[in-house]
Amino acid sequence: MAEVQLRNVTKHWGGFTAVDDLSLTIADHEFLVLLGPSGCGKTTTMRMIAGLSDVSGGEIRIDGRKVNALEPKDRDVAMVFQNYGLYPNLNVYENIRFPLKVRKIDASTHRERVLKAAELVELQDLLERRPRELSGGQRQRVALARAIVREPNVFLMDEPLSNLDAKLRVSTRAQIKNLQHELSVTTVYVTHDQIEAMTLADRVVVMNRGVVQQIGTPMEIYDRPSNTFVAGFIGSPAMNLIEGSLAGGVFKAGDMRVSGLPDDGRDGDVVLGFRAEDAFVADGEEPAELEAAIYSVELQGDATMVTMRVGGELCSIKAAKSFEARIGDPLRVRIPSGICHRFDKKTGARL
Amino acid sequence: MKPRIFLFFVGPSLFLMTLFIAVPLVSVFVQSFFVTHQVFHEVTTKSCSPGFMKQTCTESTRTEPVLGPDGVPKTETHFVGLGSYRSLLKPAAVKAAFSAAGNGIGDLLNIDFYRALRFTLTFTLVTLPLVIGFGMLTALALNNVTQAVRGPLIFTFLLPFIITPIIGALAMRWLFVGNGIMADALNGLLSQHFAILAHGWSLELLMLFFRVWYVAPFAFVIFYAGLQTVDRDVMESAIVDGASRVERLRYVIIPHLAPLITFVALIHLMDAYRVFEEIIGFSSQAHRISLQWLTYDLLVPDSSGNRAISRASASSMLTLIGIVILLIPLLRRAWREHLGRG
Repeated sequence: MAEVQLRNVTKHWGGFTAVDDLSLTIADHEFLVLLGPSGCGKTTTMRMIAGLSDVSGGEIRIDGRKVNALEPKDRDVAMVFQNYGLYPNLNVYENIRFPLKVRKIDASTHRERVLKAAELVELQDLLERRPRELSGGQRQRVALARAIVREPNVFLMDEPLSNLDAKLRVSTRAQIKNLQHELSVTTVYVTHDQIEAMTLADRVVVMNRGVVQQIGTPMEIYDRPSNTFVAGFIGSPAMNLIEGSLAGGVFKAGDMRVSGLPDDGRDGDVVLGFRAEDAFVADGEEPAELEAAIYSVELQGDATMVTMRVGGELCSIKAAKSFEARIGDPLRVRIPSGICHRFDKKTGARL
Repeated sequence: MKPRIFLFFVGPSLFLMTLFIAVPLVSVFVQSFFVTHQVFHEVTTKSCSPGFMKQTCTESTRTEPVLGPDGVPKTETHFVGLGSYRSLLKPAAVKAAFSAAGNGIGDLLNIDFYRALRFTLTFTLVTLPLVIGFGMLTALALNNVTQAVRGPLIFTFLLPFIITPIIGALAMRWLFVGNGIMADALNGLLSQHFAILAHGWSLELLMLFFRVWYVAPFAFVIFYAGLQTVDRDVMESAIVDGASRVERLRYVIIPHLAPLITFVALIHLMDAYRVFEEIIGFSSQAHRISLQWLTYDLLVPDSSGNRAISRASASSMLTLIGIVILLIPLLRRAWREHLGRG
């Protein structure tokens, strides 16, 4: 097992900066998720750790050893790819065995190790099959077994669930979580799916345009987003972000008025954020922070998502599943100051 | 697709294939069992001298073609069974060659058909791995060079394939003939006169080299196209798993290119077994002949204007049978791959 350190790591593609001055330490046994939209630099970062892409600047250390100049095979990492990366001409057994064979590991141990890895991902009955005879989920489990079999220092997983359907994604996600718990191997996992990040990670690194936006535990990222990008990226639905003005601890925007916010002199144009599940429909005549006509009502099974327009923005709140109203009906919503996050309007940074 | 619509699509192709491939093939097959020759009859003429005292008369007999009512010489066709095949394969001569008094392979290779078969098989089976090997190596090398120089390099590698084979063979022959550039260079290098075109074995090597030089670009361009479709994830998996370049070639690239390798091998086998241009281009008839050239030679009219059409047809059929025998293993492999993918 190993600690992975990235020190001021940069990657340029010609004039384009894919990863900009990234510094990060991934602790031994940690499950770290690189999260962000397409093109944010998360896969490039993983490929640099694997040695599949050169580092333009900075250094990468695995288990204290600088690996910038090392070939991928010498870094003692195993990687799981989005498209599985299985050898189509080899059966499942030979696919799992492949790293042992090419690394000239004692052949007498192969069978035992392959069977153990296959058992961990429940593939023992499929060892004679070719990849084309397997479902997407089974193929990804073969890729996982192939990564496990060599007992590497670090697992790298590049969007391994992206090609699976929603149901299979949930079960395979649980399998990956369990595997990491069993094997306790340092894991770097790349995804654009914030649910995967929240459910799997010990820590999440949120990236955008090659720059780290926030590093923290899933709850830290969710509860205290460091800027409007993170606030808008994490959570489903995304955090409501309303532009308005703040004066003396009171925020105003259209039909919305929230008082009781910290009066710390940061008055002026701000963005106020709150999560749909933290706000609620006001009872009776109690004072409400927002009064507006309903824009849309969406029944989600376990709750009802109600959307209103505040100034130029749409604002959602999660109501009980029994909530009934029609589009255009007036609605009064409680938005306690304690659930609100303030962000600088210009920089997007948390205030 | 409904059978009727399918038939509309493939019908014209089937008709043309039957017309231009099956019918000539059947015709050649049938002709190989028949011999056609002109009908001659003996004409006896008596000529007498206008002598005095005694007239001298002489009778002479000569053969003349029998003319039909339209003035065209009449011909007759006879069924000869396997006679034409026998006249090519010469079973009696083969038996004699391997009898106690015979000289074995040496005598066998004095028979035109076996001489042509020996060269054709050598030519086909030696050039096949070389064409695939050089094509693959060139494709791999080019796939790893900088993008900027790939275009000009691809063009350069394709040049031999663009040149008409007969012209290419002639050009190469001129390099080695008499005081050609290569002949002079070779003489300088060996410090003695060596006429490469005067020896059967050196001429054969030159012909093999020419075919590989000429056809390897075809294999290269097919393999290069195939390399562009290698799954990047599979390749990178192999890199991270610890596979060396050779292991990546063995476990990832070659299995991926296997259908293309089969395709190139099929095309090359069919093409090389019909080797002809090299025989003409290098004027090698005195030393080396091929089955295709043998067929051509039988079709060339002799001094009486006759063509050995029956033996030429038999030679064609034997060439065809040879190609089919060579293709069977590859076709079986392609069929197994097809079943495997299905």
